[in-house]
Amino acid sequence: MKTFGIVCSLIMLCGLFSCKHKEGEYHSLKEKIEEESKHYADPGISSEAYIGDINTIEITEGEHTFLIPERKSQIKSFACTECHSKPLEQMQNEPGEQKAHWDIKMNHANANAMNCATCHNGNDMDNLHSLTGNTIDFNQSYQLCAQCHNNQVEDWKGGAHGKNIGGWAKPRAAFTCVNCHNPHEPQIASKWPARFNTEKVKERK
Amino acid sequence: MGDKKKWFQLDLGLNKKQPNAGTCGCGKTSGGCGSHAAEPPKTGHAISSAEFDAAVEQELTQETMVGQTRKDGFQQVFDVKMDRRSAFRKLTASLLVGAGAVHTSCSVTAGEETKEKAQLDWEEQFKGNYKLMTEEEKQATVDRLVRSYQLRKKENIKMTATDASKDVLFGYAFNISKCQGYMDCVSACVKENNQDRNSEMQYIRIHEMKDGEGFKFNEADDNYYHEVPAEGHFYMGTQCFHCDNPPCVEVCPVEATWREEDGLVVIDYDWCIGCRYCMAACPYDGRRFNWSKPEVPEEEVNKNQHYLGNRLRKKGVMEKCTFCVQRSRSGKDPACVEACPTGARIFGNLLDPDSTIRWVLENKQVFRLKEDLGTEPKFWYFMD
Ligand code: SF4
Ligand code: SF4
Repeated sequence: MKTFGIVCSLIMLCGLFSCKHKEGEYHSLKEKIEEESKHYADPGISSEAYIGDINTIEITEGEHTFLIPERKSQIKSFACTECHSKPLEQMQNEPGEQKAHWDIKMNHANANAMNCATCHNGNDMDNLHSLTGNTIDFNQSYQLCAQCHNNQVEDWKGGAHGKNIGGWAKPRAAFTCVNCHNPHEPQIASKWPARFNTEKVKERK
Repeated sequence: MGDKKKWFQLDLGLNKKQPNAGTCGCGKTSGGCGSHAAEPPKTGHAISSAEFDAAVEQELTQETMVGQTRKDGFQQVFDVKMDRRSAFRKLTASLLVGAGAVHTSCSVTAGEETKEKAQLDWEEQFKGNYKLMTEEEKQATVDRLVRSYQLRKKENIKMTATDASKDVLFGYAFNISKCQGYMDCVSACVKENNQDRNSEMQYIRIHEMKDGEGFKFNEADDNYYHEVPAEGHFYMGTQCFHCDNPPCVEVCPVEATWREEDGLVVIDYDWCIGCRYCMAACPYDGRRFNWSKPEVPEEEVNKNQHYLGNRLRKKGVMEKCTFCVQRSRSGKDPACVEACPTGARIFGNLLDPDSTIRWVLENKQVFRLKEDLGTEPKFWYFMD
């Protein structure tokens, strides 16, 4: 009988103070996020369908593994050596007009710091090369950018720079540098806003 | 109606507020000590038979009278330019000219459609608060709305009632150094969420502010029209921040707005009485009240809809950003995030330790607006 009483009062006590221990009660959002992500289980929502028909490749950089668009199949008339069959000087001095790349303007750092050969290798047109002469695949061109723009690339790997492909859920897919920035003219041009609200103007008169 | 009530009553302070059951005194609606979650249904008077008769009478008059000007609630959603009787007359006339032989069977169909419409309106009129509905009831109201749209506009829409998923808490980050003031997000949002084209409603505002002067919303311009980015200015966007402890929810007298388990603050447009208390309570100018029925050209209507999101609203209710519930709950980014050409907008699951939003929160200097209010917005700003 006595034990019964103790058990009873214990249950009552638990009832009284249970609010403090209720799952889901936190004193700040930060605490809530920390606590609730401890037993995080994948909710099973997928963004895969929204990637659409973009071909992707998986890359791993440090602790981040994600998909980026495959590049080579998107470059018109890759492989470059299909046209670049002889040394550049010979091609440039051929009679007649310049057949390709006439629209490329170089507007990326200054001519002392950069020219075509900073990224392209005249002796291996199908690949890019680093400042130290290492071969870099066209699909991994972000490695070239990382040589100077390291902060941006670090942010991109973490997800603070650039854009998702598809959506927020798994698998993570992100556009790579050259999907938004033209490597020859990386600055994004200024433009006019997409809209102007004429009703707001009236309202505020 | 069963013994469980499906509506909240207007609280005019006549029924004293019940003291919170557990004495935790956290004073929060968010997350919740059990006392909030398990609040017993409020007791009160049941609808009297006289009131019931009056409502029925009103419903029937609306259904049959032609050219009636005062239309209410749900009716307005499907308001068609032509009134039903003349539409019916025209339809019958054309049928008679074309195929006299089948006209009898056709008019029977038309009659049945009218009946079906009336039945749907009837059930919609007396449905309960979405928050209290069971799965089946949610599906039933969605089905009714889809069918009604089909009957009235001869167009099919897709409407869902997808619930919050476990282990998801939506959060948003905005990179002030990246935003260039293009407003592509605003346009995308208007389209996605079927916002009123006449009043040019926009859930998102982009504020142009002077460099080096901090955030001065009073001096900022949110309706600039010149080439951007303008010299010496920076841009920042505001919208509903989906506070985890939302003051707007607390003040609603009929509980037509609430915070969902995945953190979205939503509105049941069919339960909102348009009192605009919530608008006054929001410290972030996150809410928009529609003074007229949202007009969207039929070919521009986004037909992928959610009951709590972008479905066509009626006149005189509160609207706002829902983090595109119709998209986000199925793994897509909100329309603004997708449209932003600079990547200034980052969206994701705060509970997933590997998500990009978590990386931003943990590796960038993030801050929120009016943090000292304790509203806990789930919308952070940061700079590169
Ligand atoms: S920003 Fe305003 S409308 Fe949105 S949840 Fe917070 S208080 Fe409510
Ligand atoms: S206007 Fe706001 S406070 Fe008033 S009923 Fe609607 S949601 Fe609730």
